[in-house]
Amino acid sequence: MLLSLEGIQKRFGGVTALRNGNLAVAAGEVHLLMGENGAGKSTLMKIVAGMQAADGGIMRWQGQEVRFLNPSAAAANGIAMVHQESLLAPHLTVAENIFLGREGNSFLVPRRRMMEAAARLIAEHHFPLQADWRVERLSPAGKQLVEICRAIQHGSSLLIFDEPTSSLSEAETQEVFRIVATLKQRNVGVIYITHRLEELRALGDRVTVLRDGETVHTGPLAGLSRQELIRHMVGREVAAIYHREPVAPGAEMLAFDAPGLSFTLRAGEIVGLAGLMGAGRTELCQEIFGVARHYHGALRIAGAPRTIQSPGDAVAAGIALITEDRQRTGLARGLPISHNTTLASLHRVSRGTLLDHPAERRLTQDFIERLRIKAESPRQLAGRLSGGNQQKVVIAKWLARQARIFLFDEPTRGIDVGAKVEVFELMDSLAREGAAILMVSSELPELIQVADRILVMRRGRLNGELPGRTTQEEIMKRATFGESEQAIQ
Amino acid sequence: MKSGVLKRLLPFLTLFVLFISLSIASENFLTTTNLSAVVRQTAVINIMALGMTMVIIAGAIDLSVGSILAMGGLLGTMAMEKGAPIPAGVAVGIAAGMFWGFANGFLVTRLKINPFIVTLGTLGIVRGLTLIISNGLPVHQIPQGFSYLGEGTVAGVPFVLWILLLCAAGVHTVLEHTRLGRYAFAIGSNPDAAYYAGIPVAFHTTAVFAICGMLTGLAGMIEASRLMTGQPTAGTGYELQAIAAVVIGGGSLRGGEGTVVGTLIGAFIMGLLANGSDLLGISPYVQQAIIGAVIILAVTVDELRKRKGV
Ligand SMILES: Nc1ncnc2c1ncn2[C@@H]1O[C@H](COP(=O)(O)OP(=O)(O)OP(=O)(O)O)[C@@H](O)[C@H]1O
Ligand SMILES: [Mg+2]
Repeated sequence: MLLSLEGIQKRFGGVTALRNGNLAVAAGEVHLLMGENGAGKSTLMKIVAGMQAADGGIMRWQGQEVRFLNPSAAAANGIAMVHQESLLAPHLTVAENIFLGREGNSFLVPRRRMMEAAARLIAEHHFPLQADWRVERLSPAGKQLVEICRAIQHGSSLLIFDEPTSSLSEAETQEVFRIVATLKQRNVGVIYITHRLEELRALGDRVTVLRDGETVHTGPLAGLSRQELIRHMVGREVAAIYHREPVAPGAEMLAFDAPGLSFTLRAGEIVGLAGLMGAGRTELCQEIFGVARHYHGALRIAGAPRTIQSPGDAVAAGIALITEDRQRTGLARGLPISHNTTLASLHRVSRGTLLDHPAERRLTQDFIERLRIKAESPRQLAGRLSGGNQQKVVIAKWLARQARIFLFDEPTRGIDVGAKVEVFELMDSLAREGAAILMVSSELPELIQVADRILVMRRGRLNGELPGRTTQEEIMKRATFGESEQAIQ
Repeated sequence: MKSGVLKRLLPFLTLFVLFISLSIASENFLTTTNLSAVVRQTAVINIMALGMTMVIIAGAIDLSVGSILAMGGLLGTMAMEKGAPIPAGVAVGIAAGMFWGFANGFLVTRLKINPFIVTLGTLGIVRGLTLIISNGLPVHQIPQGFSYLGEGTVAGVPFVLWILLLCAAGVHTVLEHTRLGRYAFAIGSNPDAAYYAGIPVAFHTTAVFAICGMLTGLAGMIEASRLMTGQPTAGTGYELQAIAAVVIGGGSLRGGEGTVVGTLIGAFIMGLLANGSDLLGISPYVQQAIIGAVIILAVTVDELRKRKGV
């Protein structure tokens, strides 16, 4: 065995993140690590990568009992990790981040060579990046690609991917699979965390499932049904396939009109928005929300023209934006869950000018239960939650606001199967209560399940509209090719 | 869990231990005269530090408070010299402070310049203007009654202590129980997330600076009352003491963290250290070094606590 973990334990203050983590990976094996949000997957892997110290248990690396005190000790042993939450230096370039800490031994940093090496790596994988871009400008998907480049360039013998594809669109996801396949061929061990059940079925050899900090299942992937896998993760039967019954759309809630990019959202509708990375979907959401103007479109809210110049205006107009980048624009990590939940709706928990703390706690507790956020109490700091639970807090913030028009930009990013269905059900009930929803997602099966109709964007323009019950191929065709190319296809 | 409580109480304990040790070490410590002196000496820094707490929570910093204190004190006493009644004079001092706080906030939010730079600039500008207005000369013609503000006693307790407690209660209420306070925390913790939540970030940042300026103006009047002069050179270096009080009390210069109680304790720890050194005959040179070491120690302990995740 390349790596084996036995009975790993880890506590954070009063929270037990891991009580009995077991996992074994051989060289050349692709090992899936699955489990609900907060099950302890990231924590277990951070222990392997030397970012956190275990409180108990045994870790063996190539047969030797080891304990990595810091990330560079793990790196020196040939372990690299692609992190769930980007851990890059925002002010440095893509190339500098890829080689950070590995600049070589000479006193001067070999800038030119670094740039060239990074550019080659990016080109080899057809990633939509440039070696000299500054990382802070990148979308979460872009940052994830940089993390991936960083992890694979080192020739490690174990690579850990913590939800690498959660914000990637189809083309980049396929490239990640190709990377994993190549690593496997090179006899590298791979541990791969994902909430997308069908992901890597073709590549994965074995799977380990964590539940509440404990390894509850480990075995070959072949022959394991989707239902069984979910039962291991959740501990009970759940319907993981969601199907929405569309409601008859009502009055127009929002209309956007720019050259080549016009659409309306009506009450009771869930409209999907698909496109490749860089197609301009996030920019569209930002424009409607008053953050930036990319398309200079005209906006109508409930039939009346309206200019929105800031998020404040947008919120006043009843619009909510769940951004794709929860770390940068969604979450105040250093504040309690309750502060985050009520940030956009303090008027609901105020009496006169004073805040009503008990009311705030009740509201937060309500969302903790409704969204099954795994937290100790509403007072817990948001940054201490697992990735998926952080995302749920961001969603709770906008549900608490009771907006009428929802722009969901990759809302299920990093959320587990069960919670995904709950988020869909929430969206459905919002729609039934008369809200209009625009849902951006790079996960096409999800769009097909949830959306009443799907808009496809390509290079900043609409490139077709499809009915909800369409196929992934149809969407991909419109996302990838222009009108004339489609005809040839 | 137990050690968590202990660590959270550490500032209290430090203050308590310091208090007990000084009572034992010097017989002159536990006297009404000395304790009132400590309260009066620390009140000025304390009131400024309350405003600084809000600014630091909002993720900013205000280096200009020392200069603003001088200008507030000067303009207030000048008004009284020209015949304004005492309350009007005090109001002038507070208004002057508020004006400069507002100016700081305006520059930070409209020009989008880093608060450190903006207030480093206004530190110089305000000090310069104060010296120009006064021609570098202190104001002496002040009504006798004005000394009550800094030196008077109500119910056996220094008047300034009442003022301090009132300000502390006010700032605590704003921070913990109003939207302004909540938004200050959010802006300090993650300004982008606050903006995307539809919060008017510029407005609330400016308001926080203005409140800090107001409190600094008040502190300036208390300082003037204690000296019974409007000193254009008053308050030099006070900004660092105010920042130190906030930081010793658990405030984070990264924003989003800080409490009123912490700041009060921080200011009193520094006040007691200074007073104790005086009583024990430790030279002011050594005092400076001790206070510097205490700041680093306090922040180290706080960081360790946070890293442990309790
Ligand atoms: N630094 C921390 N301080 C306190 N608690 C933490 C910390 N990091 C993680 N936890 C807690 O440990 C538990 C496991 O978290 P972890 O991030 O490992 O979950 P995960 O399985 O990766 O979930 P997800 O699928 O949402 O990413 C969670 O309950 C989380 O709240
Ligand atoms: Mg995780």
